[in-house]
Amino acid sequence: MKKTITQLALVLTLITAGAGLVLSLVEAVTREPIAEQRRLETLRALQAVLPEVDNSPDADTVSLPVGKDRKGQDVLRTFYRGRSNGALAGVAFKVTSPEGYSGNIDIMVGVTPGGTVTGIEILSHSETPGLGDKIEQEEFTRQFKGKTLESADWRVKKDGGEFDQITGATISPRAVVSAVSKGLAFYQKNRKEITAAEGSSE
Amino acid sequence: MNLAREFNKGIWRENAVFRLMLGLCPTLAVTTSAINGLGMGLATTFVLLCSNIVVSLLRKLIPGQVRIPAFIVIIASFVTVVQLVMEGYMYDLYKALGIFIPLIVVNCLILGRAEAFASRNSFVPSVVDGAGMGFGFTLALFILGAVREIFGSGTLFGLGLFGAGFTPFLLMILPPGAFIALGILVGGMNRLEALRKQRPGDRTIGV
Amino acid sequence: MEAQLYLSSSPHIRSEDTTAKIMRAVIYSLLPACAVSVYFFGIPALLLLLICVLGCMATEAVCQRLMGREVTIADGSAAVTGILLALNLPPYSAWWLAIIGAVFAISIGKQVYGGLGHNPFNPVLTARVALLISFPVQMTTWYAPVPLGSGADVVTAATPLGEMKTAVMLTGNLPEGLNADMLGYFTGYMSGSLGEVSALALLLGGAYLLWKKVITWHVPVSYLVITVLFSGIFWLINPARYPSPLFHLLTGGLMLGALYMATDMVTSPITTRGMLIFGAGCGIVTVLIRLFGGYPEGVSFAILLMNAVTPLIDRFIRPKTFGRMPQEA
Repeated sequence: MKKTITQLALVLTLITAGAGLVLSLVEAVTREPIAEQRRLETLRALQAVLPEVDNSPDADTVSLPVGKDRKGQDVLRTFYRGRSNGALAGVAFKVTSPEGYSGNIDIMVGVTPGGTVTGIEILSHSETPGLGDKIEQEEFTRQFKGKTLESADWRVKKDGGEFDQITGATISPRAVVSAVSKGLAFYQKNRKEITAAEGSSE
Repeated sequence: MNLAREFNKGIWRENAVFRLMLGLCPTLAVTTSAINGLGMGLATTFVLLCSNIVVSLLRKLIPGQVRIPAFIVIIASFVTVVQLVMEGYMYDLYKALGIFIPLIVVNCLILGRAEAFASRNSFVPSVVDGAGMGFGFTLALFILGAVREIFGSGTLFGLGLFGAGFTPFLLMILPPGAFIALGILVGGMNRLEALRKQRPGDRTIGV
Repeated sequence: MEAQLYLSSSPHIRSEDTTAKIMRAVIYSLLPACAVSVYFFGIPALLLLLICVLGCMATEAVCQRLMGREVTIADGSAAVTGILLALNLPPYSAWWLAIIGAVFAISIGKQVYGGLGHNPFNPVLTARVALLISFPVQMTTWYAPVPLGSGADVVTAATPLGEMKTAVMLTGNLPEGLNADMLGYFTGYMSGSLGEVSALALLLGGAYLLWKKVITWHVPVSYLVITVLFSGIFWLINPARYPSPLFHLLTGGLMLGALYMATDMVTSPITTRGMLIFGAGCGIVTVLIRLFGGYPEGVSFAILLMNAVTPLIDRFIRPKTFGRMPQEA
């Protein structure tokens, strides 16, 4: 039974149309939960690094340019502001370190309005499992709490600073420490704008 | 047609990973822990089952000349469904499996079953075939994931097994460990199979 | 049918070397290095040697029994693997580290490929790299040598190459006094793995192997010469950033690798020209990893990489076939 090209095209069109229909249905059903999950992911990180707040920090943000990319366009960094009873309680921002052992390390840093670290959280990394990935652990991240740019020597102990490195892996902790300290320096320099500007809910 | 036999063949005699060596890309890449192996296996089983059902139902409708594009469209649709549902309701697993969810499309096992079985058999045998093959695939990924997690992290399903003094054999959760563990498992299975064949009178008994 | 004519395929000329004879020579040649390691690192070094040798021989016997092959642990090849493995471990390594290494070297590095003569990679280095990747903390904790009877305490100390890498990463320059103790590096008074510390002992063993014609000069000489030349270029450009060729020659596992691992006849090319290329490749990769890589030492990786291209080298450098007309291209 030989079919003509029109028949072949027709069958294929029907199948593709059916697939499209099914997919659009599923997409419509899952759109809400997916958006919620993505929002929750940021929110979870924000809650981990910020002190107790009663607003949604991801809806109260301000973005500032931190540098330029290769095309000369501004690279923006978003500052999430957490409030308690309407007063600013803490600010969180994401820093990225390109100095890890493999790939970028994304870190969420939370600070008080004055610039004291309230917590850091490693968002994503691709460090060696079992070694560099220990930067995720609480033992490592909690030593940042309570430090300010001025009060601490922002280097790992092996380099003469005051942050514990991880046995067998110095590169990953070093990258995290330097990225956080750079983020803090940027925050101090632009503190007025970050804490004063009207929030935008983009 | 013996349905139990159709189901069982996917688990041992024609196990996708250990015997047919199909779908090795996700097998080697995601089995760093038992839960990842299980998740990947179940996702693949779902796609396999659905594609087997649809292909067997439409097999009289799809002309031979365009069957491959038709199968691929069907498979890709189900993979997208899995991806969306996972992202919406199982976010952690979605993050862990990452790029390998969309890559279920190119898992040779699924197209292979559509082409070799579902397009030539009716609904019920196709369902059984898909379920058996999928179960075998899931089992293989789970075993591989569990072995690698036990040796490479010293845990199973994230629970510590050996106490603090244990130093994990990191190589096992790194890519080379996947090849070594798979090789040893396949070697062990071949050995068992050879032993089984040596026993006289055993051949008539099904798997 | 009295007179029978025997027909057999080549080779028709056989040398009298047997595996056992060659392996015995290798073991003798390793005695100075073993002695130095016991002198500097004491009884634990001796125990480590014993564990590795026994572990390798036991694994070999078990594998061969399981695979239905002839058990050939008496030929000494497993023992050689064991000795070399121990010499590649840090001093005072835990017993389980040695056992895992021994099992890995023999089973994954050698027997799964079909046994002696079929492995594409040097088994000792395969095991060493597997251990290094799996147990980076244990495999990079080094100790300063404590000569027998000196009574000094055992303290951890970075290897000269490790010291160099850390300093270069932090300051961009070599540490102070790096080149001060070349005589110490030569005799073995530095921190490092059991067998790599003493260039002197290794050279003695290498000379014995050359004299016994177990190895030829091509691989070691080309490896060492290219290392000196290639690192020399960088040194001439900026002696404050790049260490001298002599430093490269005497520290780390270069001597051990060049004399014992790169010369492994199973995993290196068969032609002399191929051997020269092989050695040169090892030298270049070693220097590149030492100067610019993430690891302080690159000998193991360099030799394994060149093991991987050995079949290619053998393919491109085929010896002339006699008795055939040259083909027109």
